[in-house]
Amino acid sequence: MELLECKQLSKEFDQKQILKNINLKIPRGKIIGLLGKNGAGKTTLIKLINDLLVPTSGEVLIHGEKPNVNSKKIISYLPERTYLDKSMTISQVFDYFEDFYDNFDRKKAEQLLNDLKLQLTTRISKMSKGMQEKLQLILVMSREAELYILDEPLGGVDPATRDYILDTILSNFKEGSSVIISTHLISDIERILDEVIFMNEGQIVLTSSADELRNKEKASIDEIFRRCFKC
Amino acid sequence: MLGKLLKYDLKWNYKPLLVFYGLAILFSLMARGLSEIENSLLFTIIGQICYAVSIAMMINIIINNLMRCWARMVRNVYKDESYLTHTLPVRKKDIFSAKVLAGIITMFTSILVIFICLFISYYSPENMNGLKLALTTMSSTIGMQTSLFVAIFIGIVFLEFVFMLISGYLGIILGHRSNNQKVIKSIIFGFLAFMVMSITSVLILFIMALFNQEIMNLFNTVAEPSADTLRFLIYGGSTLYIIYIIIYYFLGNKLLKKGINVD
Amino acid sequence: MNYVFDNERPIYVQLVEMLRIEIASGTLKKGERIPSVRELALMARVNPNTMQKALAELEDEKLVYTERTNGKFVTNDEKLLKQVKQELAKQQVSHYLEGMKQLGINQEEAIQYLQELGGK
Repeated sequence: MELLECKQLSKEFDQKQILKNINLKIPRGKIIGLLGKNGAGKTTLIKLINDLLVPTSGEVLIHGEKPNVNSKKIISYLPERTYLDKSMTISQVFDYFEDFYDNFDRKKAEQLLNDLKLQLTTRISKMSKGMQEKLQLILVMSREAELYILDEPLGGVDPATRDYILDTILSNFKEGSSVIISTHLISDIERILDEVIFMNEGQIVLTSSADELRNKEKASIDEIFRRCFKC
Repeated sequence: MLGKLLKYDLKWNYKPLLVFYGLAILFSLMARGLSEIENSLLFTIIGQICYAVSIAMMINIIINNLMRCWARMVRNVYKDESYLTHTLPVRKKDIFSAKVLAGIITMFTSILVIFICLFISYYSPENMNGLKLALTTMSSTIGMQTSLFVAIFIGIVFLEFVFMLISGYLGIILGHRSNNQKVIKSIIFGFLAFMVMSITSVLILFIMALFNQEIMNLFNTVAEPSADTLRFLIYGGSTLYIIYIIIYYFLGNKLLKKGINVD
Repeated sequence: MNYVFDNERPIYVQLVEMLRIEIASGTLKKGERIPSVRELALMARVNPNTMQKALAELEDEKLVYTERTNGKFVTNDEKLLKQVKQELAKQQVSHYLEGMKQLGINQEEAIQYLQELGGK
């Protein structure tokens, strides 16, 4: 059974097609880049996988099942927005994750928090947006999941933060599990990718192993992507 | 998982409510205390103000309770927080049930606090006797035991608020099925949900009136209905409320189960 | 070792080159245990799968061997190490000469340059 499979997946909003007939299989143990310009449909696809949208047609299957309680146990998802109850403290947020996720490793989360020099007693509302995003990354990476889905984790961050984020992902994802990273900033991330998926205008235009693609085209993924979607 | 969801919903709902509970009780105590001091115009005036404030607080508790529950539903199920709520390994049914239960529980304590405030403000042996007398008269007209009558009276008030609450929830669910103007649509749908069942009640009553002269009298005469009819109306009314609440609960669940589309 | 990658070539190929230099130069000592794939990947800030692939390549070249339970080790074969070092040195020299040739400098002159600079 595939870890994740999309079959003829389409999504419309007000008769406007956002995703068109997506067919996709995500294998185990790979880091996959979901690459596309803004508005290519990356977030819509990710939201469909996470049960935040209902497909207009087609289906998403995780271990052969539509998104359900079981799929949510094994998927750890970082959305592009801040989703925590602002009135909570970090420690209360940890309690919350501990309450709902059996695979949340609180010790690990506290350790990662320590590296950021953040206090457990800090209230979310007192944190900058950038800090909240880092905290969410910690929460997501402190789960022993089978599939991590990170939506634009590098959107608009400085180089130091970018390194911090990439290191946190690389050093914390559970061995044997897969990571999907969606981004439009390809050069920052391409060296850690096993596979790439190019999306454009709601469709998947290319899937390949990153190194094979570099070998074939004798260029970086970033360069190949630019060539593909020259305006 | 329902229990854990409920725990967090209750925490969130109670945060401001507990403050209002405290204030309402405080003002009731002050009003009562100041009114006990005799021969002082100043204290009498302040006391009167405190009475007014405590009454305002009691109304505020109910309104705030409803708003807080609905706000929680919108934030937690449809706004930014929904990204976390819907990716928790819990069933949609539990998410909604927790919201409904949190609403019912807070509403219950709110009504309790209001009665405590009323008691603090107005208790005196004379008032109590007056109330008892009035209640006994009313209950005997209907042919019920006084305690049962009081219980059912409070029960109907409670059910009325719970019905408002769940109509609001249903409105929010219906409003957020659309892709735009979700807030306005939620309010309209919520109001409609409330009205639909209210009109249904009148219709049911009217249909029954077609077969029962005495109920018909309610519509076209000022004649006092018999004790039997009144009893029937009270029991029937409360049963209807319970049925409506259950229908809306299942409807809400069914709609949520179809899935949501968050922004 | 500072790992800087050229995104235009497969990352694992570059990793193999870097690790080969580390082994030949003795940064990774003969017969020494190599950190785990995950640790190495973290140091290089690459995907563990890519590092795995690079190590597999080095294993094919016999520069690295696996002991079933203890992990991966640098080879003990001094002859092989010497050979690799020589090959890498040759590559460097031919690379240098190639560059000088482009400047229109012949081999003899190029060697003179080397001697002058090397003396300093």
